[in-house]
Amino acid sequence: MTMQATPSLDLAELTLRRHCPLVTCGQSVLRGERLATASAPGAGDIHTPIAGVVTHVDAYRIRVEARGHDEVEPVDLAALSGKALYDKLLELGVDLPPADAVDTLIVNGVDAEQGVLTRASLLASTPEPLEHGLKTIHALYKPRLTTLAVLKGASIPDYDIQLTEIDHNYPAGLDPLVALAVTGIEAPDHTEVIGLETVYHLGRVMRTGLPVLETPVTVDGKLAIVPVGMPVSRVLGEAGIVPAEGDRIVLGGFLRGEAAALPTQGVDRSAVAVTLVRNPAPVAEDVACVGCGECVRRCPARLDPSMITSYAEFGLYDKAAQAHVEVCFECGLCGFFCLAHRPMLQYIRLAKSELARARSREEVAL
Amino acid sequence: MKPLNPLVLTVSVPPHKHYGSSVRGLMTAILMAMVPAAAMAVNTFGVDALRVMALSAGVAVLTEAACNRLMDRSQSVGDLHALTVGLAFAFLLPASAPWWLVAFGSAASIGVGKMMFGPLGGSPFCAPLVGWAICRVSWPGQMDLDASMLTMNLTYPLGQLKAFGWTSVQIQDTKSLLFGRQLGGLGAVQVAGVLIGGLYLVIKHHVSSIIPVGFLAGVATAAWLLHLINPVVYPPAMFHLLTGSVMFGAFFLATDGPSSPNRQIPMLLFGLLAGVMTIVIRVWGAYPDGVPFAILLANLFTPVLERIRPRPFGAR
Ligand code: SF4
Ligand code: SF4
Repeated sequence: MTMQATPSLDLAELTLRRHCPLVTCGQSVLRGERLATASAPGAGDIHTPIAGVVTHVDAYRIRVEARGHDEVEPVDLAALSGKALYDKLLELGVDLPPADAVDTLIVNGVDAEQGVLTRASLLASTPEPLEHGLKTIHALYKPRLTTLAVLKGASIPDYDIQLTEIDHNYPAGLDPLVALAVTGIEAPDHTEVIGLETVYHLGRVMRTGLPVLETPVTVDGKLAIVPVGMPVSRVLGEAGIVPAEGDRIVLGGFLRGEAAALPTQGVDRSAVAVTLVRNPAPVAEDVACVGCGECVRRCPARLDPSMITSYAEFGLYDKAAQAHVEVCFECGLCGFFCLAHRPMLQYIRLAKSELARARSREEVAL
Repeated sequence: MKPLNPLVLTVSVPPHKHYGSSVRGLMTAILMAMVPAAAMAVNTFGVDALRVMALSAGVAVLTEAACNRLMDRSQSVGDLHALTVGLAFAFLLPASAPWWLVAFGSAASIGVGKMMFGPLGGSPFCAPLVGWAICRVSWPGQMDLDASMLTMNLTYPLGQLKAFGWTSVQIQDTKSLLFGRQLGGLGAVQVAGVLIGGLYLVIKHHVSSIIPVGFLAGVATAAWLLHLINPVVYPPAMFHLLTGSVMFGAFFLATDGPSSPNRQIPMLLFGLLAGVMTIVIRVWGAYPDGVPFAILLANLFTPVLERIRPRPFGAR
């Protein structure tokens, strides 16, 4: 059940994460032209899925309004290999972790969260770009072992690759737990986990020579291949879902996904699903921990989320670091079970990003 | 800037769905679990029990409301925690307790046992026990279960055990003890009712079974060992399990979230500690029923027990 036909867009909005804009307002751009470049290692650049005019640029988004149909020239990738290929792929918008010293390469084909079936559907329905991507990724990383993690009992076409079966229960499909399932070691060295959608991006880029312009998402229980930057309200609209005033549009799953700020916010490469939540009342409340201990008993990383989030709440990020906040793999279970409905994952992500900021400041100072 | 689309979305952080539990939900469950024992208390002690429970619960709620006002905090009585604390405090009192004692103790439970430490979750002690301890130390006469209930034709087995020894305890059979034919805290001694409520909480996963299991195992093991050493002086384990506030303490007091540890092994040790301390106080201490002080003591050990923790995922 694939919604393949790419709808034509009159507006695209590209979400910037750690990217620097390369265009200015009023500039005309071709389809596939680079709009922003990544400032973090392993993150790909960002390109426009439509030809048009840049109408808005800020630190978080770039908007393009459609005009014309001209497209950039495809890049000949066949001639490239190794580091040159890796750099080119990042430039073309594939998010690939640094390619040196990888012993075990795991392609994660498991949709961790309930209600998301992007990876499972990709595996079942689009072997062609995936095969291409798997071949390239193997050549790029030269690992001793490449394995594809799939749900236990899933029937998929033959990808000529070793399979690792993953348990159905959340959070078994999250990257750190998949790495544990494959290697038998918690947080193993020289091991990389790459999401299946990235392999799909890679396969498409290798075949077309164009940057990543489309991404797979789950909408209304079906796989849809949509342009990167397609407004989330349009994505829903194509599936016949009309958001109403006060609804939430979630990019990703219910436990970890991010709510879109505007109906025009574009789908980005990391969004594995676009879901409408009809209930306007947010789950989280600004309350203190009531000490029930539920989160501590539920945390699969064996952390004390109540302490970590209380530290983050009061800005004591170094204490959060001592409590091993970095170990947290953001499964979101602590917030799902929090008796007081605290915004647990948000506090954890806040602490992590503040610690990362402090680290980069230190690096600059050295 | 002209909005591109007039639709306004709700923006919120994950999770976008919740398990469904809440403080109010938990308190409702606990209150419901106290109903059987409360009904048995009224059946045994008559309207006096009703008077004490209503007064204590009412004063607790009013105290919390007043504290919130005075401390300029948002109102929290809606989460039903104060009501639960008030009722739990009443469960520990003799049905004959004078009104001023009930009111003072209930207010102290909330004021000193909870509000002083900030919003719910801050207190290192189980709130109703704080009020109970203050009253027990300040007005031993009025809190003395035996002396205060001379009009009843029931006896206080733990008092008799403490004063005259095991051989002179009048009520020894399991059935009478189970069905509240003994003096003690008006709700706490309705053992059958408390047990029904406690099992309901555990089976419905409102509270974890670890602390109650640890507590009861601690009481049973310590009592069994002593009974083994000298069966003439020390009563069998079943007697200890079914008297005083053991059942109530195991399911309703020791399980208080903020004052007990959060992880499985510390929770078990916490329960065992409180259980063993109960027998130690009953046998060698000054108080006939060791449960309240045993739990308060175990509360003090919570931070130490919390230090027993596993290695975080992948940390070396
Ligand atoms: S999100 Fe919460 S429950 Fe999940 S690993 Fe992190 S701290 Fe633990
Ligand atoms: S689940 Fe929420 S209320 Fe309970 S201990 Fe954790 S943070 Fe505190």
